[in-house]
Amino acid sequence: MLNSIKTNHFEGNASKELGMMYFRVAIILFGAQLLMGLIAAIQFLVPGFLFELFDFSIARMVHINALVVWMLYAMIGATYFLLPDETDVEPIGIGLGKLGFWVLTAAVTVVVLVFIFVQVGAGTEASIWLITEGREYIEAPRWADIGIVVVVLIFYFNVFATFIKSSKKTGIMTVMIANLLALAGLYLAGMFYTDNISMDQFWWWWVIHLWVEATWEVFVGTLAAFALIKLIGAKREVVEMWLWIEVLMLFGSGILGMGHHYFWIGTPEYWWEIGALFSALEPVPLIAMFVHVLYDWGKEQGIAKAKGETGSVITNGPAMAWIVLNAFGNFLGAGIWGFFHTLPQVNIYTHGTQFTAAHGHLSFFGAYATILIGMMYIGVQGAYGAKRMKMNFNSKMGIFLTAFGVMGMTVALTIAGYEQVLVERAELGATWNAFFVAQNLPWYVQGQMWRAIMGVVTLIGFIYLAVDLLTIGKKAQAEEA
Amino acid sequence: MANENLSVWTSIPFWRRSAAWVTGFASILLIWLTFDTLGQISMGNDADLKAGTTKRVPGPTVINYKITYEMSKKRGHEVPVIGEKEAFFGKSDYSEKEARALLHLGKLTSQAKNCMDCHTLLGNGAYYAPDLTKAWIDPAWSKTGPMMAMTGKSTREEAMAEFLMHPSTYPTHARMMPELGITAEEAKGLVAFLKHMSSIDTNGFPRNFGKEEGSTNAQ
Amino acid sequence: MIEPLTDVVPSFFAMLNQGPLTLTIFLHTIIILPMFWIYKQEKKRLEEQK
Repeated sequence: MLNSIKTNHFEGNASKELGMMYFRVAIILFGAQLLMGLIAAIQFLVPGFLFELFDFSIARMVHINALVVWMLYAMIGATYFLLPDETDVEPIGIGLGKLGFWVLTAAVTVVVLVFIFVQVGAGTEASIWLITEGREYIEAPRWADIGIVVVVLIFYFNVFATFIKSSKKTGIMTVMIANLLALAGLYLAGMFYTDNISMDQFWWWWVIHLWVEATWEVFVGTLAAFALIKLIGAKREVVEMWLWIEVLMLFGSGILGMGHHYFWIGTPEYWWEIGALFSALEPVPLIAMFVHVLYDWGKEQGIAKAKGETGSVITNGPAMAWIVLNAFGNFLGAGIWGFFHTLPQVNIYTHGTQFTAAHGHLSFFGAYATILIGMMYIGVQGAYGAKRMKMNFNSKMGIFLTAFGVMGMTVALTIAGYEQVLVERAELGATWNAFFVAQNLPWYVQGQMWRAIMGVVTLIGFIYLAVDLLTIGKKAQAEEA
Repeated sequence: MANENLSVWTSIPFWRRSAAWVTGFASILLIWLTFDTLGQISMGNDADLKAGTTKRVPGPTVINYKITYEMSKKRGHEVPVIGEKEAFFGKSDYSEKEARALLHLGKLTSQAKNCMDCHTLLGNGAYYAPDLTKAWIDPAWSKTGPMMAMTGKSTREEAMAEFLMHPSTYPTHARMMPELGITAEEAKGLVAFLKHMSSIDTNGFPRNFGKEEGSTNAQ
Repeated sequence: MIEPLTDVVPSFFAMLNQGPLTLTIFLHTIIILPMFWIYKQEKKRLEEQK
């Protein structure tokens, strides 16, 4: 099994190899994310668990940082992977890109070790530079921020120089180039310190929101476009037309949809209106993406049937399954669960409750984890040169258990959040005491219990998934030989 | 064949140009709105406080004053009200410089100790511990609340500082705050940071915040 | 016709806030309107191509 890791090579295609290197670290960090989540989930039920040894704040910090980092790794990996296919030229400066990979991986390792063993620092600037910035999602200390910027510049150079060199300018690559520039540039908005907490959170959302509700979503659009061409032979003109429509709607709603984070952090009242209606439209492109994926699938299958071909048009079963799951999960997790609490009239009660956690779990999984795992399957297929890859027992268990587990956690947290909204916020007035009364009511505790159980289900699903990613390529290769 | 298709709706250039326009213009609007907002949320100063000028984010010397959270008829929700002078660690005449230094230490400590990965600040963060937005005016820390008696202190700020330094010595529930090695000076800074945060105009969040006498504004 | 400001601090965006959703509908409209012009241009271009 482990031997199969080494066999991931592409004849003379260093960019794809580098993509696979990023994928491998991503899947390890995904596993770490789930373990940390499990510790945090247990701490909700058994508060003494690892108390003053490995506290909730630390488990939770590593949980969400592993999430962000594995997704960025998988996104960079996916970009390196599709780069040669979309440009038809040998990518430029991949040697430098490989160096960047090792620098980034070393930096991530040091940051995680410091998070786990040093944990907190004194209230000085040195702590912000060396230990943690203490700002949710972007806790990485400042030295690591600078390292990340350097590596991302190398990455962007690889992509941009290759794009310029190529005479083929596809719609997918055009969107990718513009979107990655915005994605990388936005990180800079999170790299400063201020005493003013309102100002702090204002710019903090520039990074978080404009990533996950704008640039990352557009990135998903480009990956879905690439995958549809690759997996079911969808027509490029159709797919790229949809891509531009998605860019229009995602950025049109997502950029000013930022207003929904500016309701209560000291920012002016006019954000209520801007945040409400723009972000209420954010689900629209997600519905469009779902329709588009299913429509293209049906259309290509129909064309094949009319030609008298039998069998599926899908060349990679597990990848297609994850991408269809993405289309639905994105709409459900980001769209529906986001809309639940995006209006200020509702959000004044739900802001900062488990509602947010429920939305976070389903949307990160549905919108990003799914399609990135789909890309990993496409990578594995390429690495083994398999013409067709079919779902096997492990792939089915992997996709079913992770999806079921995450959905279960989401429902459990939604119920807990609902109780919190009614009791802590509406009834008791959001105080210290109100918080603990709500946390100890049976409906909340039961919700947390189900969350922990469903977390275990997700973890089991992940094990099937990891085993499948390591073995499916070899199986497909053996079958074709 | 392709040229017979006259529908603009399936024309890639139409969607590409529209996407470029919408993205570009939305970005310009966001930048414009950002400049407007930054002006409104930049921190005030001592002169504003003395003159009674309302700032969304008051200056650090707000720690010299009593802060309450009261229903505003005009705005339809609660707003922070800065009242008469009030001693903070036995002193009510912190200079702009002293207050700023204290707030600076408190904010830095809040980040270095990772407060945000258990608590929420202005509603953002983790959901393992209570929201800190209006923690300063929480009835638990008032004369009638349990925390002063528990920590053996006679003022709100001293009780908070004592708790922050030795949180697991004063457990209120099975779920406790861990010892984070917070020094006396850092604790003072943190309390100043919390007091300052409670004076920020959050458009009525959290709504119906509990009053010292136990009632809320819920109707 | 012009409502008194409801925002604490007067600003251009606060002035557009004249009642339910006026500000956001105004912003949506100015974003969408130029698309009619882009549409007409494209239509003309496609016809000329033919």
